[in-house]
Amino acid sequence: MKSNKPELIVNNKRLDGRNFDELRPLSIKAGVIDNASGSAYVEWGNNKIIAAVYGPKEAMPKHMMDPSKAIIKCRYAMSPFSNLSEHGRSGPSRRSTEISKVIKEVFENVVFLNEFPGSEIDIFVEVLQGDGGTRAAGITAASVAMASAGIPMRDLVYAVSVGRIDDKLALDLNMIEDNYSDSDMPIAVAPRDGEILLLQMDGGLSREQLSRGISMVLSAGKDISKKQIDALKENYDSISKKYES
Amino acid sequence: MKMESIDMIKVNYIKSMLAKNMREDSRGMFDFRNMRITPGTMGNAEGSAQVELGRTKVLAGVKIALEAPMTDTPDQGNMTVAAELLPLAHSKYESGPPTPEAIELSRVTDRGIRAGSCIDLKSLFIEEGKAWGVYIDVYVLNYGGNLFDACEIAAMSALLNSTMPTYEDGKVIHENRKNRLKIDNIVTSTTFAKIGGSILLDPSLDEEIASDARLTVTNDGSSIRSMQKGLRGSFYQKEIEELVGISFNKHVELKSLIEKRV
Amino acid sequence: MLGIYDEREIVPLEGTWKANVGDSVVGTVASAKGSVCIVDLSSFVRGLIVLRKYETAPEKGSIISAVIRDVENRRTAILEGSSELHGGILMKVKPSKVPRLIGKSNTMINQIADLTAVRIVVGMNGLVWISGENSARAVAAIERVCEEAHVPGLTMRIKEMLEKEKGIIGNDIEKGTI
Repeated sequence: MKSNKPELIVNNKRLDGRNFDELRPLSIKAGVIDNASGSAYVEWGNNKIIAAVYGPKEAMPKHMMDPSKAIIKCRYAMSPFSNLSEHGRSGPSRRSTEISKVIKEVFENVVFLNEFPGSEIDIFVEVLQGDGGTRAAGITAASVAMASAGIPMRDLVYAVSVGRIDDKLALDLNMIEDNYSDSDMPIAVAPRDGEILLLQMDGGLSREQLSRGISMVLSAGKDISKKQIDALKENYDSISKKYES
Repeated sequence: MKMESIDMIKVNYIKSMLAKNMREDSRGMFDFRNMRITPGTMGNAEGSAQVELGRTKVLAGVKIALEAPMTDTPDQGNMTVAAELLPLAHSKYESGPPTPEAIELSRVTDRGIRAGSCIDLKSLFIEEGKAWGVYIDVYVLNYGGNLFDACEIAAMSALLNSTMPTYEDGKVIHENRKNRLKIDNIVTSTTFAKIGGSILLDPSLDEEIASDARLTVTNDGSSIRSMQKGLRGSFYQKEIEELVGISFNKHVELKSLIEKRV
Repeated sequence: MLGIYDEREIVPLEGTWKANVGDSVVGTVASAKGSVCIVDLSSFVRGLIVLRKYETAPEKGSIISAVIRDVENRRTAILEGSSELHGGILMKVKPSKVPRLIGKSNTMINQIADLTAVRIVVGMNGLVWISGENSARAVAAIERVCEEAHVPGLTMRIKEMLEKEKGIIGNDIEKGTI
């Protein structure tokens, strides 16, 4: 939360003209990195993110290997040119290290780790351009990458954030909203039973706002999930189409 | 890097094909793979370009920042090119500090553009104590061989795509970008690989594994601007002279491809 | 549809390989010490050959095909009936595409082998061994099979592709002899 906060709500609409429960435009493409076992490219608002999955492969270094199940490693990073303003330094920051950890934990939940004892699955999330909500967009992309790698999961996870601007709750905060919002809460969901796999929050929310915020995320999930499934199907359909007509 | 058995088998295959004067994808010895340049893919950056060269995919982003000039050159701005081998680009790349391989790629990419005087660093000077710093970061997204040429051409295309932030009352406004970054010269890069007795342009991933020596030549159509010989093997003077000639021929094609997409 | 909802699992059309008893596999010999030979199957699953007294260990780096006799703890595949594949190249395909590459009663793989006149051995682990003059064409055909595995009419398309190329192969041979 910064001072000199600009007006984020004008005529009961958000700065970019969205309603409070409206997502930014989202497009997902699967299979963008040839070398990876699975990959996905997501454009979500002005976010541009690539996620790729390698594995399962032999776990390295050896002492990290778990003979009973697969281990997951995750790297989340932002490009030096991802911001509108300054030139970012490459290399891990405390922020990116934390985000890498919570993303890893999301996938440890949904991937059938016992299927691949002694192996390692690597998740890479590269934020080429950032516009608020990069970790949520990164998880949504990584989930498609994991599915396109054919790694069995019990559900296709999606993530989105909800925040508070003054007394209003707003879904899927963009960069300006994220910078000046009164509260921000990214959430990752396994949609089948509505299990929450990632939850972070800062700022302030009442108990009523918390319930309403989670409900907003859960109902937005249908649209996000559909985009994810469509991206996975599109990978096949585009080749099929060559032979139609 | 330990060579795996599957790589050894590929090397033998590439060599047996070359013995018949053939390449695995039936290209001519001095043909590039298909190259696609897409400038302006990243709007937050001052300039950007994605280059696909066969299966290799790289993305260059340019950020232009206000900073103090270096003390030894108080009347000019600064330029830095860095290439990063993202771990998602190939299973052999890992997270962590840059490897010697990545540092060489960064420095060779930087050298071509710097030696080519593509940007007049004096033109980046604003006022005493203030100058523009131009940062070109090249991200390797998928490694499919010949990163040197892909990165150089991406960096060059991204520079040509760049617009300057505005500077008003001591403040930088990145949202307001009007004037193009002034580019004085266009350099292009050609990388050759020597495998046994054969020399070829634009090595693929498998051909790089099989390479004994590598030569990168950067030129601007009138002068050679930078060169880098890599790996254990060697070249003779005659070979180098011939390859430089090919490099000049390729410059015409590559330059028009870059300019067409700006 | 990419995945099919099972009880608690999405069954994906893409898939990683799980070692099953009876699977034919192709791999490279990673090490051979004493009577135990470890085979790299390009997977987190490792192959293991226990040599009998009179058997000599294959050389490190050589390509072998074998059948899985037993699987221990999902990641060690005990192999039997191994034979060495001499020369040739190895290519990697997604294991999920292997059934389509083989085809109903081997139709697809036989067709590619016949029309390009190469020898092909396909491992369920996704490694494919190819040997012969026209390996590059067989590789192109296999890549296409994997890409279009889900599109009907594939056998015909591959046949057309390879028959059309046959002319080119002839030309090449001619060029080579001149």
